[in-house]
Amino acid sequence: MNPLTAILEGIGSTLQLLVSAAGYTPTLWRQRARFIEQCYLIGYTTLPIVAILSFFIGSVLALQAGYSMSNFGAKQFIGSLVGLSMARELGPVMAAILLTGRVGSAIAAELASMKVYQEIDALETMNIPPAKVLVLPRLAAVLVMMPVLAIIADLVGWFGGAIVSKYTQSIAIEPEAYFSVLRRFMVFEDVLNGLIKAEVFGFAIVLVCCNIGLNTRGGPREIGAAVTRAVVVSLILILVLDYFVTKALM
Amino acid sequence: MNNAQHTARVGLFFLLGLALIWVTFETLSDGKIFKDRGYTLVAGFESLKELKQGDEVRMAGVKIGSVEQTNLAPSGRRAEAVLRIDPKITIKSDATAAIVMAGLIGTNYVGIDLGSTTAAALKDGAEIQTRVTPDINAIMSELGNLGKKLEGALGSITGAVNGDGKTPGLFQKLDKIVTDNSEKITATMANLQEVTAKLNQGEGTLGRLINDPKMHDELIASVREIKSVATDARTFVANAQAIIDHVKLGQGALGALVFDEKTATDLKSSVANLRAVSDQLAKGEGTLGKLLHDDSILRDAQAVLKKANTAIDSLGDSGPISALGAVANSLF
Repeated sequence: MNPLTAILEGIGSTLQLLVSAAGYTPTLWRQRARFIEQCYLIGYTTLPIVAILSFFIGSVLALQAGYSMSNFGAKQFIGSLVGLSMARELGPVMAAILLTGRVGSAIAAELASMKVYQEIDALETMNIPPAKVLVLPRLAAVLVMMPVLAIIADLVGWFGGAIVSKYTQSIAIEPEAYFSVLRRFMVFEDVLNGLIKAEVFGFAIVLVCCNIGLNTRGGPREIGAAVTRAVVVSLILILVLDYFVTKALM
Repeated sequence: MNNAQHTARVGLFFLLGLALIWVTFETLSDGKIFKDRGYTLVAGFESLKELKQGDEVRMAGVKIGSVEQTNLAPSGRRAEAVLRIDPKITIKSDATAAIVMAGLIGTNYVGIDLGSTTAAALKDGAEIQTRVTPDINAIMSELGNLGKKLEGALGSITGAVNGDGKTPGLFQKLDKIVTDNSEKITATMANLQEVTAKLNQGEGTLGRLINDPKMHDELIASVREIKSVATDARTFVANAQAIIDHVKLGQGALGALVFDEKTATDLKSSVANLRAVSDQLAKGEGTLGKLLHDDSILRDAQAVLKKANTAIDSLGDSGPISALGAVANSLF
């Protein structure tokens, strides 16, 4: 199979999986236990790493911005720079990348091993479609949890920037000034754009990882390959989608 | 971990996320959805410049509302900003609004002045008067014009100083003067040098004055002398002034003479009398006149004196009676 056919097949099977999972949406209420469990895994357990990473991304943004903006006397605008970058771009993208690493890889590994050890086949034999019990709860959970992760990433990043701006000697901007500039140059649409992006990224990641996991063929070695492929495809997808979603939301 | 705990944590987590989104929304959009109270005013401007939705409206520097909407007027001939004003604030009908720059980089607010106390308050939806403030572009273009003018002025100064090729400039002229008169200038300088050397050596009056302390002391003494003379003169003048004042008041003989008419009349009549007497004397009238003009009286007197002398000489050793008799004889 040449790479182009593989890509097209991947796109096709992902869309098929999406359609069949969407068809089972009415059964979601009956699967609420699974849904809650996925919410817990996707949202709650990812929070600490998202918070830590966002804090340092905000900090380093402020540091770099302070360094370069003080060259032309604009360092009091650090607040707006960090605020806008975090809300519109880095918050959602970093949350999505972490989600890929932590959740996407886990989904791919879990579904790939289920496939390799023929659990998926067993489910299908029992007339339990995997799209219904394995994919739908995950998709629903990521839709609910992703905005929460993204907003936390935004806010933690803002505060990280504020703390660095205050305590770095070469910047020395009070949090009041930082947040006042941030507020002056930002509107809620900026944050909303970021949340929409995060939603799109999360949904795409989970869908792609489920699809790659479910389409694993061969022995246990393929589990590792599937995970790698899932992560790589997800990361590429995040950045490609980032461009198009940003453009669409402008 | 059991299912119930999962559910609780996920629920809490989700609520936390919603709360954070809500807080962010409220913070960034000034809570405009739920604080949509107050009334609106329409402010028409030729250009809204950098003003945008959500910018502040301030009265005397205090925030009283925000820009709710910016759009072109239906006529298409001006821009309008819809201002949402705090319901507690009344804006007078003669108050004017202006777009004010808060910072150099695109931060503006609408500044409204207080207006007069007597004017009526503006109602919801009313239009507020506006005034135009110069924006940064106008200031910059003014500065550009100023720069051009300065450049022109500097150019003409440079032309005057350096010349424009045809007519010589200030420096060329100065140079010519110096070149043409270099001998004279050198001679003058030499003289100056000589004079200053002499001064330095204490030669000549000025030199001595400068170098000799005795001269200095004498000069100081002379000045003191002059000062004391001046003081005396001042006293004298003061006294004279006092006398004049005295006279002016009609006091004293001189005062009476100058200012008292009666005295003057008396004096006149006295003078007239004196003249009459002297006239008589001149004409030889009266005893004194005769005495002055008539020689016979002198001669008679001389004869009498001679006779008296003779009588005294002839007294000799005669007794008092004969003496008396001799006197009587001599006299009669």
